[in-house]
Amino acid sequence: MDFMYYGDTLVVDLETGKTQTREFTEVDEEGPGLAAGLALYEEFSDAEPLVVGSGLLTGTTVPAACMGFVVGRSPLTGEPAVAPLSLFAGAEVKLSGFAMVVIKGVSPRPVYLWLHDGVADLLDASDLTGLDTWQTTDRIRREMGEALVQVISIGPAGEAGSSLASYSINYWGSGDTAALGAVMGAKKLKAIAVRGLGMLDADDPPEFYRAALEMISRSPAELGLGRVCAALEAGDVATWLEPLVHRYRSCFACPSACSTFVKYREPPDVLGTDGVEEPGMLVTSPAAAAWLRGGGWDAEPACRAMEAMARQGVDMMRGARELAGKPLAGESEIIDAVKGLTGSMDAGWPSSDRAYPGLFGPWVPPLASQEEWDAANRLGYVLGICPTFIMTSGLDAAELFALCPPAAGVELDAEAIAGMVP
Amino acid sequence: MRGRLERAARDPVLAPYRLAFSSALARRAPSDRRARRDAPSGYRRAPDTCLYPSIAVYVGSGASHSWIWFADLLERCGLFDVDFVDETRVSGSGLERFDFLLLGGGDTYAMADSLGGRGAEAIDDFVERGGLYYGSCAGAYLVLTGVDMEPFAPFALLHGNMLNVMADPPAPRCLEHKYLARYGEEWVFHPVYGELFLEAAMEARDFPCFAAAEALAAPLLGGPVMSADDARDVLAVFSVLSRHAAYLWPREQARALLDGRAAVCATERGEGSVMVSGPHLEHPLFPGANALVAEMFSRHCMRLVDNGHRPASGTTAHPDDGRAGAIPAKDTPGDSGAALLEVKRQVSNSRIVAFGLEKIPVTWTIGLKVWEPEKVRMFLEVAWFRLPYVQAAATRVPAEPAARLAEGYSSVTEMVKSLKIKVESGEDSLADAESLLVTLKELTASFLWLYFRLRLEDGAVQD
Repeated sequence: MDFMYYGDTLVVDLETGKTQTREFTEVDEEGPGLAAGLALYEEFSDAEPLVVGSGLLTGTTVPAACMGFVVGRSPLTGEPAVAPLSLFAGAEVKLSGFAMVVIKGVSPRPVYLWLHDGVADLLDASDLTGLDTWQTTDRIRREMGEALVQVISIGPAGEAGSSLASYSINYWGSGDTAALGAVMGAKKLKAIAVRGLGMLDADDPPEFYRAALEMISRSPAELGLGRVCAALEAGDVATWLEPLVHRYRSCFACPSACSTFVKYREPPDVLGTDGVEEPGMLVTSPAAAAWLRGGGWDAEPACRAMEAMARQGVDMMRGARELAGKPLAGESEIIDAVKGLTGSMDAGWPSSDRAYPGLFGPWVPPLASQEEWDAANRLGYVLGICPTFIMTSGLDAAELFALCPPAAGVELDAEAIAGMVP
Repeated sequence: MRGRLERAARDPVLAPYRLAFSSALARRAPSDRRARRDAPSGYRRAPDTCLYPSIAVYVGSGASHSWIWFADLLERCGLFDVDFVDETRVSGSGLERFDFLLLGGGDTYAMADSLGGRGAEAIDDFVERGGLYYGSCAGAYLVLTGVDMEPFAPFALLHGNMLNVMADPPAPRCLEHKYLARYGEEWVFHPVYGELFLEAAMEARDFPCFAAAEALAAPLLGGPVMSADDARDVLAVFSVLSRHAAYLWPREQARALLDGRAAVCATERGEGSVMVSGPHLEHPLFPGANALVAEMFSRHCMRLVDNGHRPASGTTAHPDDGRAGAIPAKDTPGDSGAALLEVKRQVSNSRIVAFGLEKIPVTWTIGLKVWEPEKVRMFLEVAWFRLPYVQAAATRVPAEPAARLAEGYSSVTEMVKSLKIKVESGEDSLADAESLLVTLKELTASFLWLYFRLRLEDGAVQD
């Protein structure tokens, strides 16, 4: 495929510390995005790989084209699982100069991977060992000299191989509900840092951008994860969080700013971001917020608990479910409680009784059937569009398919995608 | 941006010049089979009427970043025998082996000071012997006879003057930091900053670039509005104002100053030629203006052939002067893949930090020149977008200059990081910025020298 991907497939052998590239043929043979990612996962499955990639449209001006992914074998199920790379991480992966990244084997020492403009550096992470994800992000960004570097890292939970481990994206929760953070820990891979100044080509740029911008103009621009919770019948999280809300934030190219930044170490009406050093956190997990609210927590300690989980590199959905019903108030006891989480296998959306999981994890909203949920995820991870946005925005999949020819000169439809991803 | 550059590179306006110079290159190196093989079959003129020139680009004291646009233009014209000279080489006998000398924008005072009387004499000799001097912006101010205060007095190649000077200019409407430069008791001022349109004067009415468009767009970025003592020396005048410019004066007043005034002048001097331009005709986003320069290059080369001029020896005998990237004459080519990968790694690291630096509102005034953070990335991208070509030729790149480039760009990464930390913390960063920009300028020149050597070895380009 000549368009929409920039660079080759990178294969990182952690055991030898060597990297090599090869042509990204999977996109033509298996399909874009997750289809290619799963093919690479299968090819390297003997080496317990993590495959990092992005969808066909990730990094473009298509609404919510923010989505990248990590594929690996979930320690929770022993089966392959997909976890999202949202915020700006997916777009940076797309522009990193590597179409897909396969990370295989186990490193003999702690390392982190620095992907930038088609260069892959495997760097020593000895001095990052034991740091939480906030400290790790700060250290790597300081080392690289740039705050726009996206850091996908694990905290103490991942290093310890906890079944609750989840990688964080910079400082925030990622939606890794498959414990792929524990897989990173097992590989002694502390972090993946990524920044690229690459550019994407489209097959028919004027038509592609016209259609993408037209879609954006019709997309809902809703604010806050409270809206997502309401849409998914998970309670009035918006009202609960409101006293702490400082701003709303979207992922790359998304018209809907569904993440909510809350301040609890300084008044939320202080607009500046240069006052208190760590004034609060970005709440990225509607499920965690819904579990804690429903479990009797006040908003401020709940946010502190989510911060502690993000720092520790703990899956917020399962961590919050375990904490629900045991509300705490003091900061130190909250931190202790988070550190003492045992790793319950129970997960899922508060209003869902679906048992754990398939390829796409347990985040099953009640407004969609399992078939609809799986279809939205397949579509989202193949094309690089946020599945939550697909389900909550009323976006017509046919419109996304219509973008594929001008984007990449390919025809795709739901049937084709169902054939690419099981 | 890259898309615009690529479109400019493919612009058909320059195609005839690429053809002419490519055929000249094929003749110049008859032993080079690759060059012969790649030579185009159609010639713009008979094959023996265009010389393939050796070109010196001034990158010494006072030169800003704009000389990298010369590199872009020369590459798109198929002119690869290019070297980069500083004041020491100009003032010594360093111009003897060249046919063209190109001086772009920057701090005219610093240029004149550093070149000095010996430099002025060397440039004068160079032109008298048959060289082409092309100066844009600062390079134009420098050689106008009317700009006759010290340290400019020794530089007098074209009889004319600057008109954008007055004792008490009015306050600017915007871009105050770009507005004024002291000139004795007066001030050189810039009423417009950005795109303007140029019209052909009588002497240039038959130039193909003006036949293709009534008016050429070109950027005026602090260059002179001129008068020429001899009206026949005027090639182009300012005509229509553009929407894509910042007006430091009210538009009507700016129009009154500019309209019909000389923007580009050229004259013959001894065996050689002098061309000066207020706007940066060499800017890569202005292909029509590029074609005007290419036309003058081409005419000068033909004139030299008509006069029986022997081509200059070019840069192939360039001694190793210790700069990173200068290929020592006796060095043996080897596989430099690892060192070039390190160059890529460090240029990428530097670009990433430099991009972040651009988000911080800071400028540095070095001499009379105001530098913005984006200039850092402009230097880095010269190497970045040419690295794939150099990496593909890694087996022909000698190990030592490749290693020096790797070391140089590695130090640039640390310098940019350190500069950014200082800027973010509000510390005085001027000395760090100056040191970084000087290093980048030298390193970029070294990289380009290596790149053009490879392009020259590979011979003519095909459209």
